[in-house]
Amino acid sequence: MPKPIVLYVKYVDFASEKCGRLAMLLVFVMIGVLLLDAVTRNIINFPLSWCVEMAQFTMAAYYILGGPYSMQMGDHVRMDLVYDRCSEKTKAILDIATSGTLLFYLSCLLFGSVSSTIYAIETGQRKFSMWNPSMIPIKLIMVFGITLMLLQAISMLFKDISKARGQAITHEGEQPTV
Amino acid sequence: MSHELIAITMFATMLVLMLTGQRVFAVIGFVGAAAAALLYGEGAIEMPFNAAFKLFNWYPLLTLPLFVYMGYILSESGIADDLYKAFHVWFGGLKGGLAVGTIGLMVVISAMNGLSVAGMAIGATIALPEMLKRGYDKIMITGVIQAGSSLGILVPPSVVLVLYGMIARQPVSQLWLAGAVPGLMMATLFVIYIVVRCRMQPHLGPAIPEDERDMPMGEKLKLLRAGIIPFLIFFFMTGLFIMGITSLVESSAVGATSATIAALVKRRLNKDVMEQTLRKTLGISCMFLWIILAALCFGAVFDGIGAVRAIESLFITRWDLSPWEVLIMMQLSYIFMGMFLDDTAMLVIVAPLYVPLIIALGFDPIWYGVLYTITCQIAYMTPPFGYNLFLMRAMAPKEISLPDIYRSIIPFVAVMTFGLMIVMAFPQVALWLPEYVRGIR
Repeated sequence: MPKPIVLYVKYVDFASEKCGRLAMLLVFVMIGVLLLDAVTRNIINFPLSWCVEMAQFTMAAYYILGGPYSMQMGDHVRMDLVYDRCSEKTKAILDIATSGTLLFYLSCLLFGSVSSTIYAIETGQRKFSMWNPSMIPIKLIMVFGITLMLLQAISMLFKDISKARGQAITHEGEQPTV
Repeated sequence: MSHELIAITMFATMLVLMLTGQRVFAVIGFVGAAAAALLYGEGAIEMPFNAAFKLFNWYPLLTLPLFVYMGYILSESGIADDLYKAFHVWFGGLKGGLAVGTIGLMVVISAMNGLSVAGMAIGATIALPEMLKRGYDKIMITGVIQAGSSLGILVPPSVVLVLYGMIARQPVSQLWLAGAVPGLMMATLFVIYIVVRCRMQPHLGPAIPEDERDMPMGEKLKLLRAGIIPFLIFFFMTGLFIMGITSLVESSAVGATSATIAALVKRRLNKDVMEQTLRKTLGISCMFLWIILAALCFGAVFDGIGAVRAIESLFITRWDLSPWEVLIMMQLSYIFMGMFLDDTAMLVIVAPLYVPLIIALGFDPIWYGVLYTITCQIAYMTPPFGYNLFLMRAMAPKEISLPDIYRSIIPFVAVMTFGLMIVMAFPQVALWLPEYVRGIR
């Protein structure tokens, strides 16, 4: 594989991993915010209107930012009736053949997220609720996460191509599918 | 192209692409996005992302990552070891007693967690090796663990019922209560099956010799203390929610916190356990949430072409089916599709089509939620596509092969189908408890 591609794979995988490991911790934010809500509402009788919405935002960030890392680790389930019986090389070829589906879907997502974010910035969109938060930060986070997901998908494609040619790009962390 | 043809083309494309082994979320998302673009033109290119905001409004799904987290913490916390020991001593003397005890263990775990992941992890790491050592038949116990852990989505709490509740717009507390009695009934049916089978073929589950379980009655009773922590977790999580004190999403946070505290008290929480838990939680949650995201886009296209009315006219006008025949057709089609397609995605795509019809035919949507969940349980176990199958394959010890796993589920699927028929024939099995609780409120 040409050197720029090897470098691309290296840096994208690195970015996905860092981003995913950060997203991992968001589970604590979700628990913390919801626990705070339960305590303030029931025990000190001081309901906070922003807690559930904050948790909603956090979950969106959680799965969007965690997506690339989980894909890198092979956590996304596949129907493996045929796939599982193939050799590593055939698997790579199958993935290359169908990579268009993944790239097309992620491109649509990216297009939608960008246009939705531009709309939010132009109109100063806010969520219609008591807390009334701006929608811009979460949309920016989602654009970032989806972009990284697309970059990660391309990185996987490069890896599959090199695997199909019988010379895997060495990388750590990737596991076979469940 | 007629709408029916579009629907069939979409499903067929999805099925073919699934067979290539591409990631499920990519296949579903692609078919949804491509169909949207072909049907509605350029403007529809934003449809996949708009699904993210539908998902956003489905905030009860917050229970999903929290239950996954909780499940992994529980399986590491050592609670299950104590419980297993208690069941071992109390039931070990029976022929097949350890398998019966494992079902008991699974019921307790199911009452603490809303997915089958926790039960699978605990069953495969604690119960399975122990039973193999005692000469239990590997095929039977593999089935026991898969069937037992599937109770996780029927016995409250249940994430599947949360998802159903959002789609059918039904209160989750009522749905959870409706799952309780059928869940216990299903567990009882499993136990009956195991006891009868082991009575007839004792070599499948030899009794544990007396001297191994022999201990003073006082000691034996002390072992029952293993049940205290699970009961407390159940009370703080599900109990407070059913009583209306905590909201649904709060209850899952309370559950996650209490499981973490339990693990801390048992001194099982170290850096390595935390790392593993967080990583697996991210992996499983992302897998499910991306599939749901993609399925929502697919579902929106389906909705747009009027699939609800198409199915209604097919079942009622064209085939002239009675309400019960429609119901049975729905269950059969769901089991069939659940075999080949992803079960979570099926719920998101198919439930919105079926539920309005169920209500229009005069059936109780709460009761249908329970039927749906049992069908889901069956779909989770039937090859070639089932989450429990995947988990089992990833977690099982080496001596258990793939054909073993496939064969192991046959009797349990039969038992579950029988259970499903009981709940269909006697809706009160599901509806008695929610109605009773509604009455005393």
